[in-house]
Amino acid sequence: MKTEKAIYLELAGIAFAIVIALLCGFAVILATSAEPFTALSSLIVDPVSNLFNIGTILNKAVPLIFTGLSLAVVFQSGVFSMGAEGQLYAGGFLGALVAVNIHGLPAWIHFPLILVCAMAGGALFAGIAGWLKAYWNANEVVTTLMLNFVAILATSYFVNNVFKDPASGGYARMPYISPDLLLKKPIPGFPAHTGFVLALLAVVVVYLLLYKTKVGYELRLVGKNSRFADYGGIHTNRVIISSIMIGGALAGLAGIVEILGVHGTYKDNFSAGLGFDGIIIALLARNHPVGVLIAALFYAYIQVGAQTMQVGSDMPREVAVIIQVMLVLLVSSQAIFAFLKQKYATRQKAVK
Amino acid sequence: MTILLEMKDIHKVYPNGTAANRGVDLTVYEGEIHALVGENGAGKSTLMKILFGLEAPTSGTIEYKGKPVSFKGPKDAIEQGMGMVHQHFMLAPSLSVSENIVLGEEPKKGPLSMFRDRATERRGIVKLIETYGLKVDPDARVETIPVGQKQRVEILKVLYRGARLIILDEPTAVLTPQETDELFASIKALVGQGYTIIFITHKLREVMEISNRVTVIKAGKTIATLNTKETNPEQISRLMVGREVLFRVEKQPAEPKEPVLSIRDLHSVDDKGAPALRGISLDIRAGEVVGIAGVEGNGQTELVEAITGLRRATSGSIRYLDKELVGKSVANIRAMKIGHVPEDRQTTGASLTSTIAENLILDHYRNPEFKRGPFLNKKKIKQFAKVMMEIFDVRAQNEEVLAGSLSGGNLQKVVIARELSKNPKLLIASQPTRGVDIGAIEFIHREIIKRRDGGAAVLLVSAELSEVMALSDRIAVIYEGEIVAVLDNTPELTEENIGYYMLGLGKKHREKEGAAQ
Amino acid sequence: MWQALWTQIADLTLIVVLLRLMTPILLSALGGLISDIAGVINIGLEGLMLLSAFTSIAVGAATDSWVIGTIAGVAASVAMCYVMGFFSIKLKVDIIIAGFAVNIFGSGFTVFLMSKIYGLTGNYSPENLNPIPNVVIPGIQDIPVLGKLLSGHNLMVWISLIAVVFCFVLLYRTPYGVHLRSVGEAPAAAKSLGIPVGRVQYSALAWSGVFSGLAGAYMSMGMTSMFVKDMTAGTGFLALAVVLLGNRNPVGIFFGSLIFGLASAVTTIVQTTPGSQVPSQFIQMIPYVVTIVALVIFAVRKKRKLLTQAS
Repeated sequence: MKTEKAIYLELAGIAFAIVIALLCGFAVILATSAEPFTALSSLIVDPVSNLFNIGTILNKAVPLIFTGLSLAVVFQSGVFSMGAEGQLYAGGFLGALVAVNIHGLPAWIHFPLILVCAMAGGALFAGIAGWLKAYWNANEVVTTLMLNFVAILATSYFVNNVFKDPASGGYARMPYISPDLLLKKPIPGFPAHTGFVLALLAVVVVYLLLYKTKVGYELRLVGKNSRFADYGGIHTNRVIISSIMIGGALAGLAGIVEILGVHGTYKDNFSAGLGFDGIIIALLARNHPVGVLIAALFYAYIQVGAQTMQVGSDMPREVAVIIQVMLVLLVSSQAIFAFLKQKYATRQKAVK
Repeated sequence: MTILLEMKDIHKVYPNGTAANRGVDLTVYEGEIHALVGENGAGKSTLMKILFGLEAPTSGTIEYKGKPVSFKGPKDAIEQGMGMVHQHFMLAPSLSVSENIVLGEEPKKGPLSMFRDRATERRGIVKLIETYGLKVDPDARVETIPVGQKQRVEILKVLYRGARLIILDEPTAVLTPQETDELFASIKALVGQGYTIIFITHKLREVMEISNRVTVIKAGKTIATLNTKETNPEQISRLMVGREVLFRVEKQPAEPKEPVLSIRDLHSVDDKGAPALRGISLDIRAGEVVGIAGVEGNGQTELVEAITGLRRATSGSIRYLDKELVGKSVANIRAMKIGHVPEDRQTTGASLTSTIAENLILDHYRNPEFKRGPFLNKKKIKQFAKVMMEIFDVRAQNEEVLAGSLSGGNLQKVVIARELSKNPKLLIASQPTRGVDIGAIEFIHREIIKRRDGGAAVLLVSAELSEVMALSDRIAVIYEGEIVAVLDNTPELTEENIGYYMLGLGKKHREKEGAAQ
Repeated sequence: MWQALWTQIADLTLIVVLLRLMTPILLSALGGLISDIAGVINIGLEGLMLLSAFTSIAVGAATDSWVIGTIAGVAASVAMCYVMGFFSIKLKVDIIIAGFAVNIFGSGFTVFLMSKIYGLTGNYSPENLNPIPNVVIPGIQDIPVLGKLLSGHNLMVWISLIAVVFCFVLLYRTPYGVHLRSVGEAPAAAKSLGIPVGRVQYSALAWSGVFSGLAGAYMSMGMTSMFVKDMTAGTGFLALAVVLLGNRNPVGIFFGSLIFGLASAVTTIVQTTPGSQVPSQFIQMIPYVVTIVALVIFAVRKKRKLLTQAS
């Protein structure tokens, strides 16, 4: 089969999965809502009915693009990390610490420094899982799940005790970050912050990294066939560690951009699952950076839709969970995709 | 003699269009040893899967004990009294021998009980072992017993289920000669007790030694069924490959020059930590092909891996030109103009989900020539891939096609192209033509000889003795991790001569310590 | 703080708290064990527990019967496992992804139901719930030490201890147990002998549903009397860790759960002790760190074993 044909088939399969998942969500709405059509329209139409909601979609998409990219990189190297959540906390925490506690630097130095520290925080924390996987052969699914808790609990301790803003009362957060370091909202009346530009930039960088450089070639080769990579003299362990660390850096960016764009400072438990959403997005995108961009926007659209639906009808926003779950399961079903390919192949033959 | 099993005009076409069986007939008499021979990919395994209900035939009929049958799964076949010993053992390693034997048919404490009756189980197994003389400890965990015993467990499994027709799929591939002898003795004993055996193999010597009749399959079709007594290996071989001689290579006598590779007293261990190389010493000179002959599993894989840096040598030295290879990384070794065609192109030699171009640049991507700034030079890569595909006659639409969609022969040409594209001074070719079509075999053989004539040293490892004999200038016989003989490949040398050493019956000529210096 | 801890150890409160907190970990870990042994690693334990916790308290409150409630919770959890099995075995979704989806589903769908049925968003605590009873052993309850040690525990505590024995017998003393082990280790071998690999794996997942179901019911109707959004708070992941720590056998899992239960119990005591210097977050972290360290130790041991075999 030619490569392009295979790609089209894959896309068709993903589109099919999206349609079925949406239909499942609609079916639940139709079955349980007293005003199903109001609910449906507030789910589908409201998110794009005004600039405010569109801006919210973009803002929601930003951290998802970063975590999606993070996991796309890691998955491409054949590592099944579930650790973006913890890395996001580690990176966001370190970045926020630098933002809050360093004073007197000009913003054009301070801002990049914050981003670099966030990346370093995420990468170093991810490095633990990478090291455990590469040199101790510890199953990454388990270690990353465990390390997520370590990161969440540790940051929670620090923000509740050592770095807590005395003025924050019962709410655990750091002091607010100076406004000139925050991500701006350049268009008046449009709530989207400039983090979206950073996210687009990240998409381009990751695309180039994966498909146009030596590092990307090695990384993908290790993921596709690590024995072949070994045979070719590639240090698979080093590649695995670097891919996990690159993923960690991207997750760290997700955290800091969310802090600088939305929250204004580090708050305890601010992520609430962005790292796990990233897994869904990477799966949907088949680990391709451009796919991540589209998938994250779609995912954010559903989330905002769920919120507008909760406001505009009798349906709670958790309906979106049904769509998410069906999406994850259907796009990951090897049987469905194999079936589609086989159907296509036999039809081709019939044509001939 | 009564007919026990008759398979008629079996066809099997897979959904992806591959026709594995295209009209196979097989008739087996009760109480005989029936050999089923054919090359790799001839359709033997598919036929047996169909017989066992693991695959449904596209068309054709099966009659067993005079009645037409169609099995929906192995359970049906087992109930009808068939049993199969698979080439790759079907055993759960952490379960005990007896648990493996009774698996799926465990004795219970009473007909309605939910519990295992372990006492009865053990008694039954001990009796079974005694009846057939297949010695093995019923309480040992399977992962702790040697290969030969594992095979006995497989046979016991089949006997426990009351099979009268036993299918052995390439049973000797993993056995030492002694174990093979013991296996053959067991088989003969079983036939003496009225059992019927189907023996799948591609080793003609074994066919001659043990079978009553032999059916030859080629390219999914039955070519002939012969009485073993009335035939000879040459005839069977001719039927299997469809021509007089499989490997005839046009070549001039070698003109060997200085040694390129000198291995001295090399030791290493296999994946389980057991000694696999026990003091290998061997020289390979520029302009000669040295072939390694031996029964599979005698250290060939480990030897190649040790030279190429994929396996750590526990002691000894490997000199390449003026450098020591032991302790060097794979990347270092590959950068020294050493080409390595690995034994398994599917898992090691290629990345099936990458494109042809990505497979071809495995070494070159590090080369500054293939870069543009921080990026890989796509144009250059494309051009390189196109040239390589042209030279090595890789038939595919373009260089962006996934390697996994190529035929065996074309994929192997990609591997060969990559390894030869760096003009190796040492070429290590492991099973270079396994599962490859005749046209590609000739092409690959010509390339190997071309390199030899161009002054490269070639180390050839092949399970096909005829291939080793056709290509090599000298033949080193490996047995249990030692080179037991190094023979000049003169026209007088016969398969029997080599076989004598392959079976570990004698030793001759070891490279002298320091001979190369 | 040490004072407080010591008093609680001395008057056996620690043991009582330990047993309370250990029960859900132990039950769900046993569920995880059975699916793990059959080669279908279930990381969806967390979601299954939530599903059962909500279902059981909802049904339990409506019917005024903890028995019916628990059965309903277990049934919901088992049904979910069959769906999970359908996706992973039939549609070939990676088992890790399927489990991940179950976790998202369990967390979101329970909140959806809570809001749809009761119009609540945070937690649901029915007023007249008939919870899973405590077992008071007459005669023993008044004996000083023994009374506190043996009497007054929740029924589910005892069920979880019996479950350890049950799993041991199931795995090692029944043909079905041997089938489970063979399917997990050598599916091709099992299939070649006519063991229905898919069906055995479905059943293994169902077992993990049964045990997670019991754990969930206990959390909402025994340990507490309410359902709170995401109330499992990582218990399912702890259970997953226990499966690994316990060396994949029921007895090991019992001891693993004991250690993790202890960490949880100490956390609770520290949290409720005013003026404690040890931050509770770090004690909460212990199980996760222990798991990682244990994974490394297992790996080192394996490596050593290989090396000693070699020499």
